[in-house]
Amino acid sequence: MSHRARQLRVSALARVEGEGALNVVVRDGSVERTELRIYEPPRFFEALLRGRAHTEPPDITARICGICPVAYQLSACHAIEDACGVTVPEPVEALRRLLYCGEWISSHALHIHLLHAPDFLGYPDAITMAADHRDAVERGLALKKVGNALLEAVGGRAIHPVNVRVGGFYRAPTRAELAPVAEQLTAVLYLALATVRWVAGFDFPSVELDHELLAVHEDHRYAITRGRLVSGDGLDFPVSDFSSHVVEHQVPHSTALHASLDGRRYLTGPLARYSLNHAQLSPLALHAAAEAGLGPSCRNPFRSIVVRAVEIVYAVEEALRLISEYEPPEPAHVDVPPRLGVGHGVTEAPRGLLYHRYGIGADGLLTSAVIVPPTSQNQAAIEADLHALVTANLALPDSELTPLCERAIRNYDPCISCSAHFLDLTRSPA
Amino acid sequence: MNVVIGVGNPYRRDDAVGLAVAEAAAGRGINAVQSDGEPAGLLLAWEGTDLAVIVDAVVCEPATPGRIHRTPALPSAHGGTSSHGLGIPDAVALATALGRMPRRLIVYAVEAADVSLGVGLSTPVARAVPWLVDRVLADLT
Repeated sequence: MSHRARQLRVSALARVEGEGALNVVVRDGSVERTELRIYEPPRFFEALLRGRAHTEPPDITARICGICPVAYQLSACHAIEDACGVTVPEPVEALRRLLYCGEWISSHALHIHLLHAPDFLGYPDAITMAADHRDAVERGLALKKVGNALLEAVGGRAIHPVNVRVGGFYRAPTRAELAPVAEQLTAVLYLALATVRWVAGFDFPSVELDHELLAVHEDHRYAITRGRLVSGDGLDFPVSDFSSHVVEHQVPHSTALHASLDGRRYLTGPLARYSLNHAQLSPLALHAAAEAGLGPSCRNPFRSIVVRAVEIVYAVEEALRLISEYEPPEPAHVDVPPRLGVGHGVTEAPRGLLYHRYGIGADGLLTSAVIVPPTSQNQAAIEADLHALVTANLALPDSELTPLCERAIRNYDPCISCSAHFLDLTRSPA
Repeated sequence: MNVVIGVGNPYRRDDAVGLAVAEAAAGRGINAVQSDGEPAGLLLAWEGTDLAVIVDAVVCEPATPGRIHRTPALPSAHGGTSSHGLGIPDAVALATALGRMPRRLIVYAVEAADVSLGVGLSTPVARAVPWLVDRVLADLT
């Protein structure tokens, strides 16, 4: 009965990274299906990594994304080092964490101020918003600039850094080279706090999601570059067990794989990190979070913008701490001779946890590569949110419901370019 | 202060023409930067300048590869849907809203023959580079 069917379509989602579409079908008053259709072309990274040298994944996988290349580089380094039985010295790991802070600052500042805030303030895009909220956009650009300066100082350049290698860095920056970055970070710390206050004042639809949460965890600090995996209902496992808990599967409407955690839908990213690692935030970040009205956990996806702002405060402060304690590691990297085996690596990309697994042959060449990016892990949760949102708002006309759905997707800052995967082609014998 | 900004991707063949011009201009002592065209980066690149000269490749249908268009600015309409797809017109619109445009902007758009994956300029586009460098230097002096 087509007159009772209703379809919401957004053929090209705006203000997300990459190319995706939304399809919601409502029939006889109930939501029949919600599909986040990822049609970004398949990218074949895992296939092209096979047969490459064990030193190559950091540079090759960095190319998956221009927004979060550091996440790819460091998940790759950890996985290769794990396979080869090498743990890098703490000073090298601290420099990695400093680099990663730059990526968090830069990526979160972009998403909050240029992609997400227009949703809350009723503008079609940041350029239109800038006319009325110039200070806020300027603040976002200033924060992003400092994030980029940090990426350049440690990584060599902001997009696809060139200084990261398996085992550490090609060259460690000097203290003198980091000093001007510290000055810039100090200068923007108050801007980061202003951003928390700004986004805390937005109106948030009242939503509480019940997905399982999964994040990387360290007991003594807010986990970014390494740790074990913990979930909201008490799972606690090392990264080497990732693939026994997380299973990826194909869905026909997307080039990104969906994932499940012990058979259940789950969520990674700022909400999961904040809710599971709240106790590891710095006092200033905790204070900013409390002022913004966040409790010890946050399950409203619309409030993810507040969590991202709190994470900028944390990353700026953490970067300052790391620079103040910094002594250039000597040497800047340790040797990582290849050996036969399999290794796992996980880090917290701005959008959520990013897992890499590599198999290495006795000849040092990769025999297998698996990359599980955050957006594909979050895809099922995003679709479930859409389902609940549409169900709760069926009375709204399409002209209001469709933008609400787009907002729900942007809550997750989905990086569609990262998540695009390939479908296996099975060919019958001729 | 003036700046030459070459915009492009070195791994998309003719899209690198702006980068080639910026490199050549820098070699002749001009303040020149290479950019991927990301708006926030462009705003920083032309911050505080009197004149910014942007060189970028353009895909035309039909194309005369190597043909050069010179314009004082680009239409400020923005059609990109993702932050990966933003470009010079978006940067101009954003900078205008923020009052952060250079005092004068000149854009050279070079018609590309080939922007597929790979390195190296096509012959007609490569031939345009020396002439373009001279024109850019003339604009700056």
